[in-house]
Amino acid sequence: MGDSLTLREISRRTALGALGAGILGATVASWPRLTGTDIPGRNDGSLSIAILGTAADAAARQKAVDAFRRLHPEIKVRVQAIQAVDWKDFFSKILTMVAAGNPPDVVYVATEGAQLFAEKLAHPLDEYLRRDASVMAEYFADVHPSLVEAFMYRGSLYQLPMDWNAADMYYNTKVFADSGLSRPADDWTHLDFRSSLAAMRRANPSSFTPYYWTNRLFGGVVPWLYANGTSFLAEERATGGDWLWDRFYGTDPSRASRSGGYLWQTPNADDPRVFETFDFLRGLVKDGLGVRPEEGGGNSLVGLFASGRIGATPAGGYWVQGLSQAGMGPGDFDVSFFPRWASGPGAAAQRHQFGTAGYAIMKTAKDKDAAWEWIKFSSSREAMELIFSTPTTTPARRSMVNEALYSGKGPAHWKVFYDTLDRFPATGPIPAPPQQAAVETALIKNVSLAVSGDEQQLKSALASLQSDLELALRRTA
Amino acid sequence: MAWLFLAPTIVGMGVFTLVPIVASVLLAFFRWDILSAPQFAGLDNFAEMATDPTVRVAFGNTLAFVVVAVVLQLGVALGLAVLIQDRLPNWLRVFFRSAFFFPLILSAASVSIFMKYLFNEQFGVVNWLLGTVGIPAVPWLTTPFGSACVVALVYVWQNFGFSFLLFLGALSAIPQETYEAASLDGATGWRKHRYVTLPLISPTTLVASVMAIINALQVFDQPYVLTRGGPGDSTRTAVMVIFETAFQQLQFGKASAIGVVLMLVIMAVTALQFRLSKRFVFYQ
Repeated sequence: MGDSLTLREISRRTALGALGAGILGATVASWPRLTGTDIPGRNDGSLSIAILGTAADAAARQKAVDAFRRLHPEIKVRVQAIQAVDWKDFFSKILTMVAAGNPPDVVYVATEGAQLFAEKLAHPLDEYLRRDASVMAEYFADVHPSLVEAFMYRGSLYQLPMDWNAADMYYNTKVFADSGLSRPADDWTHLDFRSSLAAMRRANPSSFTPYYWTNRLFGGVVPWLYANGTSFLAEERATGGDWLWDRFYGTDPSRASRSGGYLWQTPNADDPRVFETFDFLRGLVKDGLGVRPEEGGGNSLVGLFASGRIGATPAGGYWVQGLSQAGMGPGDFDVSFFPRWASGPGAAAQRHQFGTAGYAIMKTAKDKDAAWEWIKFSSSREAMELIFSTPTTTPARRSMVNEALYSGKGPAHWKVFYDTLDRFPATGPIPAPPQQAAVETALIKNVSLAVSGDEQQLKSALASLQSDLELALRRTA
Repeated sequence: MAWLFLAPTIVGMGVFTLVPIVASVLLAFFRWDILSAPQFAGLDNFAEMATDPTVRVAFGNTLAFVVVAVVLQLGVALGLAVLIQDRLPNWLRVFFRSAFFFPLILSAASVSIFMKYLFNEQFGVVNWLLGTVGIPAVPWLTTPFGSACVVALVYVWQNFGFSFLLFLGALSAIPQETYEAASLDGATGWRKHRYVTLPLISPTTLVASVMAIINALQVFDQPYVLTRGGPGDSTRTAVMVIFETAFQQLQFGKASAIGVVLMLVIMAVTALQFRLSKRFVFYQ
């Protein structure tokens, strides 16, 4: 052998054997990769936290993670960002992780999924809040009870609101001024709103869109339904929750009206006021004042709004940072309350829609006490200032929605954001029962048809919405 | 020894194909929401599926989509293949081969997101181009007909390249003498294609159509990203309903039942194609 070995002397069997051994060796060597055990933090006892966002969003949480680790060096933390178009897709991804036997310990859940998690996946926070009531009192004193109530489900609290957004109305100040419009009154009506759109239509070219809205559960048709004192689902309140309200909001003027959480169990698309509201939106589309709404999160909206091609659109405080980055100065845009309905039972309340989000502990969490420590820390002023250092959302703590947060970015009337809760106590959360995904699909699929055709098509779309909702709500989540 | 060499393929097929198929078929007879133990449901999932109007509409949409998309895909692919094979020099043939195949290697989701911007009613490039010649803005993605057209167009644009390559290969394999003989017999232009080209590429046409139909029956990415199945249910497809039923409504049993029916439809259509092929496919 040795030098005398030639290729001819290596038999086919030897070559194939060597190849097989090579494949086997490579498989063994890459086993950690194949089984996913080389993913940092996996199976090392870390508290895994899933958030909706990009890797950059996860990195932004790192300052908070570092601060938490200084307090709790014994708890390892791994933040996992999951990219998704909207919350519905994010929840689907979490469910696939559950199905794969690899669920996170803590999940950042928005109102859209709060009841799905409460019913099926999350562990209630009640015992921890009772235990740490003295520490948590400061947090609740700074957070509006409406946000907390949105996370109540049948008398138990499943999440602490960290950030939130109401559907307020953004408008381009230059477009408004060029159209002869001034800042809307706080109590402007849907008819005033329509007149404003008509003025913008007259003053701008046809490629300009006076009102842009997207077809989704937040900021789509629902704020208009709320403004008219109705919704596509009948709204009820559960009993219970006194333990929380008495302990943390005993002196709050709204204490008597607080409940064990919202319940949406019955379709309400056949309500005449639902028809009236849809008909109003249909009129805007028909007259070229508003677009036929497309589905999705409206990602292109910021650029279009910043370039002056859109007059007004509903959005929350989460928009400010994006508009600033798109080149809009503090005076280039402003925000006002959502219009109230001109008459009828909803007019006086001027009810707005809001969505909030916070961490939920999964039932399957390996160390629930550690998960609670993370949530408790995240609700502290220190952590929230680290996470919400820019106006990418509205912090749940009232004291943080201040001049400093909006300095150099605007809008001039940033107080509108938190005032929406303070001035309009009837303001309510996104209607999202445990069957949220099916309910959202039912709503979204019928909205476009309802506002895009004639009155007969509207009636037919609402009938279809009613029957789709009946089917969706009949299913267990 | 032979079994040892076959083992990787057999294990791969078993783990990643056969086990999921068997599991899906079994799951179709259970109620399961991932979070609690499955419960035997007999034929309930199939009965529920049969009475669900969304499922019926989705299957109807899928079949309509298959007809339109496959005819367009094969028609465009064959037409372009004939044009390029007949009229262009070799270097241009290479260029177009790459250009037409390129969309296939892109992610369908990325392409669909891009197309969504292109076809936006207010701000899309397509309507801007139409506007330059005086055509008013078309509501591409917000009307049932418009959104169905866009989904089909985007799908065909992204997928015709594969059929195109198959046809190009088949065309280049036809001996030149066959055409010369046909010319001597007086055949020209269209008659050459009708009586020489089409019969001689019919085995390729069969393969291309079988693959195109199977793929089109499973369409998901384009309608999901472009329209989410709307407006209404106008672009909701069978696979989209499977996804929504499983991962959004947590009805994994019913989703499996829909999947089983779709699999049976695919098998039936494919079997029918092979059966009919005996009449239309010409093997040299």
